[in-house]
Amino acid sequence: MASFTERMAFVLVMALCLSGALAVDRGNFKTCDQSAFCKRQRALKPGESPYRALLETMELTNTRLTLQLINDNNKVRLLLELYRLQGNITRVKINELKPLKPRFEVPDVLVREPPTEPLSLLSQDENGVVLSLGAESQRVIVSARPFRLDIMEGRDVLMSLNSRGLLAFEHLRMRKDTSQADSEAEKKEEVDPANPAEQTTKDEDDKDEDGMWEETFKSHTDGKPNGPSAISLDFSLPGVEHVYGIPEHAETLRLKTTDNGDPYRLYNLDVFQYELFNPMALYGAVPVMLAHNSQRTTGIFWLNAAETWVDISSNTAGKTVFGKMLDYVQGSSETPQTDVRWISESGIIDVFIMLGPTPKDVFSQYASLTGTQSFPPLSSLAYHQCRWNYNDQEDVKLVDAGFDEHDIPYDFIWLDIEHTDGKRYFTWDPHKFATPKEMLQGIMDKKRKMVAIVDPHIKVDSNYKIHNEIRSRGFYIKNKDGGDYEGWCWPGSAGYPDFTCADMRSWWASMFAYDQYGGSMENLYTWNDMNEPSVFNGPEVTMHKDAMHGAWEHRDVHNLYGFYVQMATAEGLIQRSGGVERPFVLTRAFFAGSQRYGAVWTGDNAAEWDHLKISIPMCLSLGLVGISFCGADVGGFFKSPSSELLVRWYQTGAYQPFFRAHAHLDTPRREPWLFGPENTALIREAVRQRYTLLPYWYLQFYQAHCTGQPVMRPLWVEYPQDPATFAIDDEFLIGTDLLVHPVTEEGARGVTAYLPGKNEVWFDVNTFQKHNGAQNLYIPVTMSSIPVFQRGGSIIPRKLRVRRSSTCMEHDPYTLFVALNPQRTAEGELYIDDGHTFNYEKKEFIHRKLFFANNILSSINLAPDAKFSTQSWIERVIILGASKPSKVTLQTADGQESQLEFEFDSSMSVLTLRKPGMNAGEDWKVMLQ
Amino acid sequence: MRFYVFIASVFCCAFADSRKIRGISSSYKRFYRERKSFLCIDGSKLIPFEQVNDDYCDCEDGSDEPGTSACPRGRFYCTNLGFRPHYIPSSRVNDGICDCCDASDEYNSHIRCQKTCWNLGQRERAYVEGQMRTLDEGLRLKQQLIEEGVLLWREKQAQLRELQQKAEDLHLKVEEHKKRKHQADQHKEQTLKTLQAGGAGSRQHNNTASGLFQFLDNNKDGSITVDEVQARVVTIHDEKRLLSENEAVALLGGGRQMDLTMFRHTLWDTLTKGDNVKIRDTNAALDSPVVEDPLLMAADRAAKWEATNLKKVEEAYETVNMEISDLQQKLAIDYGTDWEFLFLNSQCYKLQVYEYTYTLCPFNQVTQENTAGTQVSLGTWGMWAGEPKNQYSQMVYENGEPCWQGGSRTATVTLTCGTETALRSVKEPSKCQYIMDFQTPVACQPVLKQRGIHSEL
Repeated sequence: MASFTERMAFVLVMALCLSGALAVDRGNFKTCDQSAFCKRQRALKPGESPYRALLETMELTNTRLTLQLINDNNKVRLLLELYRLQGNITRVKINELKPLKPRFEVPDVLVREPPTEPLSLLSQDENGVVLSLGAESQRVIVSARPFRLDIMEGRDVLMSLNSRGLLAFEHLRMRKDTSQADSEAEKKEEVDPANPAEQTTKDEDDKDEDGMWEETFKSHTDGKPNGPSAISLDFSLPGVEHVYGIPEHAETLRLKTTDNGDPYRLYNLDVFQYELFNPMALYGAVPVMLAHNSQRTTGIFWLNAAETWVDISSNTAGKTVFGKMLDYVQGSSETPQTDVRWISESGIIDVFIMLGPTPKDVFSQYASLTGTQSFPPLSSLAYHQCRWNYNDQEDVKLVDAGFDEHDIPYDFIWLDIEHTDGKRYFTWDPHKFATPKEMLQGIMDKKRKMVAIVDPHIKVDSNYKIHNEIRSRGFYIKNKDGGDYEGWCWPGSAGYPDFTCADMRSWWASMFAYDQYGGSMENLYTWNDMNEPSVFNGPEVTMHKDAMHGAWEHRDVHNLYGFYVQMATAEGLIQRSGGVERPFVLTRAFFAGSQRYGAVWTGDNAAEWDHLKISIPMCLSLGLVGISFCGADVGGFFKSPSSELLVRWYQTGAYQPFFRAHAHLDTPRREPWLFGPENTALIREAVRQRYTLLPYWYLQFYQAHCTGQPVMRPLWVEYPQDPATFAIDDEFLIGTDLLVHPVTEEGARGVTAYLPGKNEVWFDVNTFQKHNGAQNLYIPVTMSSIPVFQRGGSIIPRKLRVRRSSTCMEHDPYTLFVALNPQRTAEGELYIDDGHTFNYEKKEFIHRKLFFANNILSSINLAPDAKFSTQSWIERVIILGASKPSKVTLQTADGQESQLEFEFDSSMSVLTLRKPGMNAGEDWKVMLQ
Repeated sequence: MRFYVFIASVFCCAFADSRKIRGISSSYKRFYRERKSFLCIDGSKLIPFEQVNDDYCDCEDGSDEPGTSACPRGRFYCTNLGFRPHYIPSSRVNDGICDCCDASDEYNSHIRCQKTCWNLGQRERAYVEGQMRTLDEGLRLKQQLIEEGVLLWREKQAQLRELQQKAEDLHLKVEEHKKRKHQADQHKEQTLKTLQAGGAGSRQHNNTASGLFQFLDNNKDGSITVDEVQARVVTIHDEKRLLSENEAVALLGGGRQMDLTMFRHTLWDTLTKGDNVKIRDTNAALDSPVVEDPLLMAADRAAKWEATNLKKVEEAYETVNMEISDLQQKLAIDYGTDWEFLFLNSQCYKLQVYEYTYTLCPFNQVTQENTAGTQVSLGTWGMWAGEPKNQYSQMVYENGEPCWQGGSRTATVTLTCGTETALRSVKEPSKCQYIMDFQTPVACQPVLKQRGIHSEL
């Protein structure tokens, strides 16, 4: 089995021109200087903008303002559209007034045409207009000469557009083919005074530069039949020193300034052995940036799917803390300001300015545009066991049995590409996986599930049904000459279905039907990998930009491809169950809106401590832009982890949303029991902690689904006024109530965690020790330590009877952990449904508020119109920070009262109520006397 | 009669404390006698007896909830009447998956479990019987193989001794042939020297009978022989022609040799006075004495002959030595206490798994061959690697073909008891690390006690 794949791998490495060393080969990927439009645009320096607003063209209707802009250098006119959207969002669209041909506008990402609110004109003169943005005394000032937009609240400027004059719009033009024809044409134009001046679109601005009509990178030539089409716009953020988001980058949570290097790049790429802490593009792209200071949080959503670069600069960058203090003391200096500039290769400017003012508002605003996290099946929040590859059915069976033998729970076992018949997705290797249904049934008997990979590259093979169908239906992406585009990927020569085409997507979805996807069953779910798309022999290991998706170039839609693949796959899983079951689909590539279709992971990381550390900011950044269901390969994909690193990774992964161990084909086996009994026990304990918290995780995802709030949160989201939290990315919150500071240092003896909140207290979840907020707390650690704290004032439901899989725990009773705040109150929620269907949409669920005040703990129905019944009951209540009662009385819904037994630990002030026994779905009260 | 008593006792006990008994083995019953209170088995806590198996965990050690899933560290005893009793973690009680074959773990769940203990027991008994048969047969075969092994070992030892004897003989032969070659070489050298000196010498000594005699007496033994005549005497008419043996004999007066006295009276005259024969023109001969001179040619031939002989003997000696070291190497391998594994050496066993054919040649090497015929080494014999208790249960073959990401292929072979010797399975759980199951009677171990299946409590 070794020699063939190994040789394949070798061939691939050669094909990718990779060194085989342990870092990315940067030469495979473009710098801004090597990307013609980025180089052109970045050459423009801040200064007076050539754009002028033609106020006389202004039209203001109830829903929008339109206005023409003119570039005084080349007289090309642009059309500005300005919308006030519901929920404190301003949308600015800029397109050519009369483009030579239509420019691409991103479809399918917005959940609907965003509802507008009326705009009203406050004042107008020859210098500009002032519009009211509805409530909160927000105004937008449109300045005419040069054109700029300032969004104000009261006297404060929240954000300015084109304030640095970097608005640029490369209008579409005819190619001046030969220099002769070119000069003739120019002469003609010059001698033709009848030509309206404004239509004469030529000036120094229009001079052909290198890379406008053709660009070569390595051996790949990008023919650009449409010529230059880049766009650019700058945003100034006064008072802002912290910006976040624009994933995916292997970068700290707080974004860095880019003055001394490349801008952050957004271009979905399959990067082999990526490096940490740099702005290079990775597998996914969400063009959303958040800006934060202690007064306000805002967001910029740049809706463009082409290759995009983002420059960040700051007037305080590089200043030392002392320097800043000096400024402050002297009361002199300018306010801090961050300037951001977006550059995209094609399409239009379509930007949503989310004005907060709180982090939660920004999340809601963004969710109103692109939707919220899909509500995953409960089991997908449990532990996933993956490896490239489990070799055959026997192997799967043995691994499954290994978990039972070592009493470690798991819910999903995964199959990578080797399970297929020659990398033909939707098929099974006829020898190694000869009876997939038998295998799936065996897994189902344990109430467990499986995921099999389905990648979007389709083997070119006339004996392969999927290929034949796609070809005959004309669903493949075309090359620039009109033939089916072919690239090299796992199966060898492969075609790439055009997922931007709705017909293609619905056909793809239909392939997941049980009668189409042979060997599949209802406990088989899907993993979409390589959907950047990865093309081993393409430029930058992806598709040629001049490939065609119907009328549009790949250039226009590149960053959308992976989004559509996951969309179509998730739809397939929904359809196969007749719309009953929730899907689970993992994707590597993503875009804004991908949260609606499933989970993402941070791609091919490595078994190194720094990769463990970076998993936190990478997932935090994704959470900030709506994608909550995020995880990193536990253990690291490339290389082999030490047992210490593996244990620490399990401990960290157990507290991250998507919890999956994965490993490269060439690494030694690393199932949890292969590192000696001590490490097995440590891993078992970490996984068990995850399972006890599943009710809390499930609730977080329900809330994320309803509100768009991230599940895994940076501290500043909950403590927006505490600057000490703004750059923290070695610890994080799950929801509002759990703070996690995993141990990510080799040989650590202790960690220092920042516990936020001036008037808060935090309880160590293991020792129940109480700590005050707003302090740096040193915590000594051993190999078994996972520093986790529950916020005083919260109630967290857990299920302490950890079983083989989450499904086995469905009917189990709850233990409520009530952590009192200094005011001796606490509240939390409990959400219960069937865990896997869409019936919650039909109000089949239980949603309760748990509330502790005045020594009474009560359960209140938050959804009286919803109906669901559960067998689960409350087996235990643990009250942290309690005092000893003399009597504890339970009052049930029917008014009956009974005395509860209790235990009180006075050293830790922990009160444990023994077996109250009420049903988790009912009203009840527990009174302490 | 005993049977009835036993049934009665089961019923009686089941009645007496049907709730509390759940999940306890009979040996633990003494901890759960119905009293007012229950002491956790670890002694940590005293609780009212009603709280035993009341689905709430009171004891740290889980001992108060042997029959429910309430305690995280608890365990549940499946009585499994008719099959093997065993413990399962408490978390498997009422989880909707049947674990105990008597269905006792799912007394309060949605699933209806089949009671399968009797069937399992029967199957297990049949299996164990089969295993026992296999074991018996295996041990019988093993005994045979041990006997054969001893014989084989002796045979090999005899073979070794034989070879060593042969080597000794050959060694002597080599020495002898070395000596002979040395002599032949010396003779050849001398002949050459004489010949080179002879050009002048012939004229010098031709004047006297004794001088000529000495010249002709090439080997200085005091007599002239046929070949010495042939070497130096030619007919006047045809100097190039070698005299025939008859002619030489005639010149020697009908004999095969001639001494100096005889020479003075016969050949000396013929040579000096006759016109029939003469001494070969040594001037011409000097130009290429080696080629031309028959004496020298004879010496050369002799030297070459001896060299060839020596080489042959030396080669034979080397071969035997190699055979010896091969055999010694083989015999140095640990073939088990009774040389029972010896017969595996020189055997090979094949197994096809998917597109590959694996070949295990015990104590030699392991290879993998794909359908295209490309062969890859998975390792050569390394060592026994079983647990100290039974080190002969596992073999390791190492240093196979290098792997793409470093390291080299290795194969770990586990030996299991069976009546036939064959390769049963090959797996590659991690890249380049192969695990093989190799069945053979010699892996059979006598078992002192078979784990019983109880059919009573």
